[in-house]
Amino acid sequence: MKKSREFNDILDECLERLVKSGTLEECLASYPELAVELEPLLQTAMAAKEASVIQPRPEFRAKARNQFHSALQAMESRESHPFFSWQRRWVTAVTVVLVLLLAGGGTVVVASNSMPDGNLYPIKLATEQVWLALTPSSLGKAEVYTNLADRRVAEIVYMAGENNPEQVEEAIQRLDNHLIMLARLVSAQRKGVDTLLAPSEQAGAGNDVHIQTNGRGRLRIMIARYAINHPAALQAALEKSPESVKPALRRAIAVSVAGYDKALMALD
Amino acid sequence: MQDEESLVQRAQQRDQGAFAQLYEGYFDRIYRYVVLRIGNEMEAEDVTQQVFLNALRSISSFRWKGVPFSAWLFRIAHNQVVDYLRKKTRQATESFDESLAINKSDPWLEVEQRLDIEQLILATKRLTKAQQEVIALRFVSELSTAQVAKVMGKSEGAVKALQHSAIVALRKALSVGYDIEKV
Repeated sequence: MKKSREFNDILDECLERLVKSGTLEECLASYPELAVELEPLLQTAMAAKEASVIQPRPEFRAKARNQFHSALQAMESRESHPFFSWQRRWVTAVTVVLVLLLAGGGTVVVASNSMPDGNLYPIKLATEQVWLALTPSSLGKAEVYTNLADRRVAEIVYMAGENNPEQVEEAIQRLDNHLIMLARLVSAQRKGVDTLLAPSEQAGAGNDVHIQTNGRGRLRIMIARYAINHPAALQAALEKSPESVKPALRRAIAVSVAGYDKALMALD
Repeated sequence: MQDEESLVQRAQQRDQGAFAQLYEGYFDRIYRYVVLRIGNEMEAEDVTQQVFLNALRSISSFRWKGVPFSAWLFRIAHNQVVDYLRKKTRQATESFDESLAINKSDPWLEVEQRLDIEQLILATKRLTKAQQEVIALRFVSELSTAQVAKVMGKSEGAVKALQHSAIVALRKALSVGYDIEKV
């Protein structure tokens, strides 16, 4: 018992030395009487250590970092205004309504076409939050998210053309979030319980695709169309974009393909 | 990395820079740990992300009372892996012929075959959960015996004994893997 405990201590000491860049030979020289027992064990441990030095995929590293920072910022923002956080959606709604009243609908319409590098882009995002807040049903929200995904793809293509990888990454993150929400909403909605059809939900969609009847079926057509068009548009952008944005565009393609696949599977 | 204790304190006060440094400092090691425990690089990505999001949510509850930050973070990773594996228990495991005899002549040692991550993953599947854990923490994530003891909730003596048995078992498993490849 005591002997095995001593051996375990010596093995551990040698392993610690190997982890800290010591050599096998040095360790065996320190314990020549145990060399025959120690050598195969140390070789195995070192082989395991060397085999495991794998690097995460660069795409995953970038995506994970992006999501972590988004979560960090979201937490920061929630905690800095804990009392008012529940009111935020209404504040946003009131702000946009005020902008509409003061500046006329034109500002919001113009903002809806703005790109991430434009001054009106924050209004575009705020308007989208209002759009979601004013859409009560799950399938209605799913439709909104589908339209928002379409906007994000247009932004990704535009910002890639502007050689702005940072804004491309941000738009990809938003696209990913929209598609995740889309799949969740669709899968949560049981077939045959279609609450999409309230005419009031169609307001505010601008030039985006509308679903007027048979919501689930029409939504499926819309998603199926984007599932083809969006990766194709991103692929076309990839072929003519500068090298600096190509990795982000490849990720955008992967995000859109995976996101629409999930949504379509949830619809089946 | 800066002094870890001060980084953690700043992170607990919502210092984004401190959070980012801790994240970068541990990301690769947590990812490798998860890959080895789960055995699937793609699925390990989701689990790794979740580990850091959980850490972010609960860092305010972390206290320096004899538990290093690394042990706390790897404990979260361990729990996340256990949760993942629990959900996956009904899925088919690797097709690895258990009836194959272990080669007594230890050919893996004789030819000094270079081990890759797939072989390592396959071999560790033959180990007990505790042995897998100690291999992943000690050699893949390079924690000290004391840190591993904190993560696993065992004494250092128990970790040393477990480490010994884990390496012996891994060596046997690798010999079997070598035989299968040769066939």
